[in-house]
Amino acid sequence: MATQMLFFGLFALSINLIAGYGGMVTLGQAGVLGIAGYGLGIFYTTYSLPLGVSALLAIVSTIVVAAFFGLLLVRASGVYFLMITLAQGMVVWGMAQRLTTLTGGDNGLRGIARPPFAVEYWSYYYFCLGVVALCVFLIARIVRSPFGLSLKGVREAETRMAPLGYDVKRIKLIAFTISGMFAGIAGLLLAMYNNFFSPPSVYVKASAEGLLMSILGGVGTITGAFVGSGVFVFVTNYVSGYLERWPTLLGLIFVLTILFTPDGVVGAWQRLVWAPLLRRFGAADEAELIEVGVGGGGLLSDRARKISKSEMSSTGASTSSEPSEPVEKTRARS
Amino acid sequence: MSGRQFVLLTLNGISFGALLFLLSSGFTLIFGLMRIVNLAHGSFYLLGGYVGLTLMQNGQSFWVAMIGGALAIAVLGFVVERGLLLRVRGRTMPEVLLTVGLSLIFADLALARWGGDPILLDRPSQFASTVELGGVTYPEFRLLVLALGILLAALMWILQSRTRIGAIIRAGVDDREMVSALGINVNAVFTGVFVFGALLAGMTGVIGGVFLSLYPGADGEILNFALVVVILGGLGDLRGAIVGSLLVGLIDSFGRSLTPSLSYFLLFAPMALILIFRPRGLFGRATVN
Repeated sequence: MATQMLFFGLFALSINLIAGYGGMVTLGQAGVLGIAGYGLGIFYTTYSLPLGVSALLAIVSTIVVAAFFGLLLVRASGVYFLMITLAQGMVVWGMAQRLTTLTGGDNGLRGIARPPFAVEYWSYYYFCLGVVALCVFLIARIVRSPFGLSLKGVREAETRMAPLGYDVKRIKLIAFTISGMFAGIAGLLLAMYNNFFSPPSVYVKASAEGLLMSILGGVGTITGAFVGSGVFVFVTNYVSGYLERWPTLLGLIFVLTILFTPDGVVGAWQRLVWAPLLRRFGAADEAELIEVGVGGGGLLSDRARKISKSEMSSTGASTSSEPSEPVEKTRARS
Repeated sequence: MSGRQFVLLTLNGISFGALLFLLSSGFTLIFGLMRIVNLAHGSFYLLGGYVGLTLMQNGQSFWVAMIGGALAIAVLGFVVERGLLLRVRGRTMPEVLLTVGLSLIFADLALARWGGDPILLDRPSQFASTVELGGVTYPEFRLLVLALGILLAALMWILQSRTRIGAIIRAGVDDREMVSALGINVNAVFTGVFVFGALLAGMTGVIGGVFLSLYPGADGEILNFALVVVILGGLGDLRGAIVGSLLVGLIDSFGRSLTPSLSYFLLFAPMALILIFRPRGLFGRATVN
């Protein structure tokens, strides 16, 4: 269960990277994850390549596919972006179902092995822990890098980034590809964990669940992804033993999160508990920093509304300084 | 390919396109006005079909089932719009994600109520036979679907271009703030359009139950078709929905028959081309984005 939390958390984090930091909400990420899972299965079981080589090839194929998907996506934003990713995910799912000679169709691919040093349950857990920790470290670095900041800039004010000399399309493409790579790693861990890979893992429902984890935990935060995956794994593994209609429960959690705590568990924690604490102990500046822009909370909360409204009306000049403020603050901190 | 096969595949494509139009016209109308993509539209379709199934199991005719499915989903649409979507009005992403959450709930509840086996609804007795058409024997029901599609297209055309409600909707697509400033209750218009879209989806579900059969997952599949239709045709445009539906129907019909395993990919290819060269879709307007 803890192992599942790790790779689902990584999957949610890959969504978080583009949704929370880049403002691009995807509903096709399970398709990207599936390229890696199926890639591993095909290279390892069908072509009998060594596991390490198969994993490497699978990741390379995932990056290629993610980059190709990204090329189709760079001109879209908002709802268009979401719809295209959804369609892309469905294409991967459709091919997983129909290209039976390659993917085994409904039966999926069996016999995917774990690394020889991590076959046992507990050793596989530590293997996942190591891989995921490395990925989290890398993602944290990316988010704080100049590239990560320009990605936040795209989220906050896409139309204003281009005049500033940023190549918005390139930033989006790179972000989507990087995110796809991490989703792919999560896919490898998932496939090895189950020794098996099949169409439900790439279905739009899986993408929606990943998004659920990401939003539930708090978009634009790294810990949020793992809080979200923890809740998800708890419901699917534990609550499902008592409650037959647990998918309905998941859906309800999703709906209630969006209605009442759009910045997720971590966002609400920081806003309601952590910031007042900081303020009480004389760190008002940092408290304000949290309140102004916890990660990507603005994606779903009111701040996002202001931005989309100012973009919708052509007279954006009067509000121009305001949306980019959080980016400046983050930069000042680092 | 023989001439007869060509005729058959074309007819299949056009009638499937008509089914897609019945669904995606409401979908695209909701988007055009409300700027939200209702990702629960597939669930509306499937639930409508299941309601129709229950009615038919209780001895009702296809026509009663079709109207019952449509009305039941219209009520559901009203509840969703007034109870949930209204609370997050104006914030695109929460609205869309809310419909995602709802589709998860609906899919699970439908599974609980109607089970997981594919179910094919009976054809209406008046349209159960076949006719000779262009050298092929063709089921009347599919021609009925085609006729319904044409009828709906004509009705919506008149509604949009000739009536007061149509004028309000067109104005709302272009400038919502202005419309509300003119003293028109925009929220009521939104609800009306959403309920109308839900009604069409529920009706199409019953028709689709005869056409394609009902099963868990049909909601996502039909939604994907509707998405491709509106991406091809352009969101929020009636002409786009017509042309997109026909294109997707024909591509799917010929694709399935010529390269069964690649038919999904064939659907994807024109979409990719459109996205690269004309991201707004064939008829989409710049203001939509």
